[in-house]
Amino acid sequence: MISSEEYSENMEEAQETDISILVSDVNNIAIEESEVNKSISENKPLPSSSEQSNSYENLFDQLKGHNKHIFVLSTAGKPIYTRFGNENQLASLFGLMLALMSVTQDSNDTLQSICCGRTRIVFVNKDPIILVGVSQRSEPYDQIKKQLIYVYNNIISTLTLTQLKKIFLNRTNFDLRRLMSGSERLIDKLITFTENDPGFLLDSISCLQMPSNSRDKITQTILTECSKIKNLVFGLLIAQKHIISIVRMKKYSLQVSDIHLILNLINSTESFKTAESWTPICLPTFDSSGYMHAHISYLAEDCQACLVLLTIDHDLFFTLSEAKRKITEKMRRNDCLQAINDAIIRQPLSLARANILGLRHLLYKIKNRSQHWCPPFTLPYNTDTLQQNLMSVYCSLISQMNFPGRNLKVIYQQLTSETIVAWATDEVELYMCFEPMVSKECATNAVTKLTQWMKKEEDSLFIFNIPMF
Amino acid sequence: MATRKKVLLKVIILGDSSVGKTSLMNQYVNKKFTNQYKATIGADFLTKEVMVDDRIVTMQIWDTAGQERFQSLGVAFYRGADCCVLVFDVTSPGSFKSLDGWRDEFLIQASPSDPDHFPFVVLGNKVDLENRAVSSKRAQQWCQNKNGLPYFETSAKEAINVEQAFKTIARNALAQESDVELYNEFPDQIKLSGGSTENRSSGGDNCAC
Repeated sequence: MISSEEYSENMEEAQETDISILVSDVNNIAIEESEVNKSISENKPLPSSSEQSNSYENLFDQLKGHNKHIFVLSTAGKPIYTRFGNENQLASLFGLMLALMSVTQDSNDTLQSICCGRTRIVFVNKDPIILVGVSQRSEPYDQIKKQLIYVYNNIISTLTLTQLKKIFLNRTNFDLRRLMSGSERLIDKLITFTENDPGFLLDSISCLQMPSNSRDKITQTILTECSKIKNLVFGLLIAQKHIISIVRMKKYSLQVSDIHLILNLINSTESFKTAESWTPICLPTFDSSGYMHAHISYLAEDCQACLVLLTIDHDLFFTLSEAKRKITEKMRRNDCLQAINDAIIRQPLSLARANILGLRHLLYKIKNRSQHWCPPFTLPYNTDTLQQNLMSVYCSLISQMNFPGRNLKVIYQQLTSETIVAWATDEVELYMCFEPMVSKECATNAVTKLTQWMKKEEDSLFIFNIPMF
Repeated sequence: MATRKKVLLKVIILGDSSVGKTSLMNQYVNKKFTNQYKATIGADFLTKEVMVDDRIVTMQIWDTAGQERFQSLGVAFYRGADCCVLVFDVTSPGSFKSLDGWRDEFLIQASPSDPDHFPFVVLGNKVDLENRAVSSKRAQQWCQNKNGLPYFETSAKEAINVEQAFKTIARNALAQESDVELYNEFPDQIKLSGGSTENRSSGGDNCAC
């Protein structure tokens, strides 16, 4: 079993197949299975055949420079995507991944994860495609798996599940890259998002901070136009990574993971800024069988908020284009554009305003709204590396707090460089980072004080009104 | 048409143990030969880029273990192959007799959509040795009976015919791969079934906006 792993206590190790792997070079791979008796191999590493492996060694040196890899392959073992390097050159490695899946399948088992040293390899089989994550960042198993599911969802969002299955049903040898060209970039960006954004950790969205009366006025303007259009299902107004407003058709709701895909699409596509666009997008959680059609446009030259109107009807472009024009006009007349610009420019609310001794940073999530607030990073988290370290601390804390079946309410931990506290009520989840040596009592007082302060601020930080039409 | 620049072919090599599968592959990919015998454990993988009719093709070569005790690779291993190479040793009648078994095994495991026209290529290896036991004619006859499979006599040691054989393997696999109609028609429009969305979401307590 895996022992010294930092997060091992959180993992259900028992459900993982425990395989250690000895790699001399890619041509000579011996797999040693310690517990499970389904050997394809002998327990002795082969002597490495020196010269021929040179080019492979170079290739692997390149890969070793990164501590997080994501690979996607077909169930035939053909490469579809790699985060780093060229997937053609890595074809052998993809073959090996499939072989590992295949031998375990043959004994009616499923390979979920391999641990060797600090490296954790996670497999997700979504026949007809397989996703593999390799991490040396001490991430929890669940976290890596969730990242893989996000990548999978992104592939579905460009193809739909129906089409993906149909393609491989007819030809198992299909090279999916032929239909994926162009979307690799979206996957790259999405992986970065899953590594850096608290929204991914918390399953929540972040809202653009603005006075609630301005937000209501904006929402009302969008609602009035949208409610007139048949088969329009959702409308979102987005400013970079933040949501300004959402409206929806009665009985239908947007899931957070689908919103993350939309945000990623918009923030990764510069061309949306210059032309209104009409693009099919499948929202896997909403309905993986077909496409929604998205009318995507920025409101105006002088207002860089992006309006996304989602419909099931692929003939609705001109109707939606007209609706957008009216929405922008109306917003200009009633000063909504100005309100949005003010909100985008405004200094985000600083945690210092709460004036809580020893509190450095926090994540605040309203559970039933799936929205969070992440204040700007301040000292001592003023570099990218330090912020990433803090995110890993949060990641571990969130994972412990939400571990299935545990139902924890409070976690208090003193680490070497900070004291961290997780606090959950029925409404709210709080993840706080204090200076080291902060006592439990002090932390508890901070929670009380913060909760009171948030009551005053939350109107502008969150969206409480998501109207239906 | 989609971009035609990237093509990757999955090629599986099958045959009895010690007929020279790994040696052939090493000769082809690395231009190397060694007399030392080393049983393949499970599987080996090699990658090679080749030009076929002005197209750059990546060959993903799946070398398998001939020895039975190393064979249980699973059904998934064979899935989606573009070409299967059957190898026997011309000095070993037993390895030639086994070809039927290997071919059947592959067709059962891989279950290609059109088994009668699936591209196999047959290689009679070790023609550099003097104690030949399977004649050219006999081998060609067998290939003829199987819908005219291409047959090459090779020597991994002397690098005889290896390049040519793999060129044919690549070309035949490519023919199999390239006749793909593109699936660009849109799937059916989503039906709004009204109210069923509550069940639609998969993420347990993950709340919706």
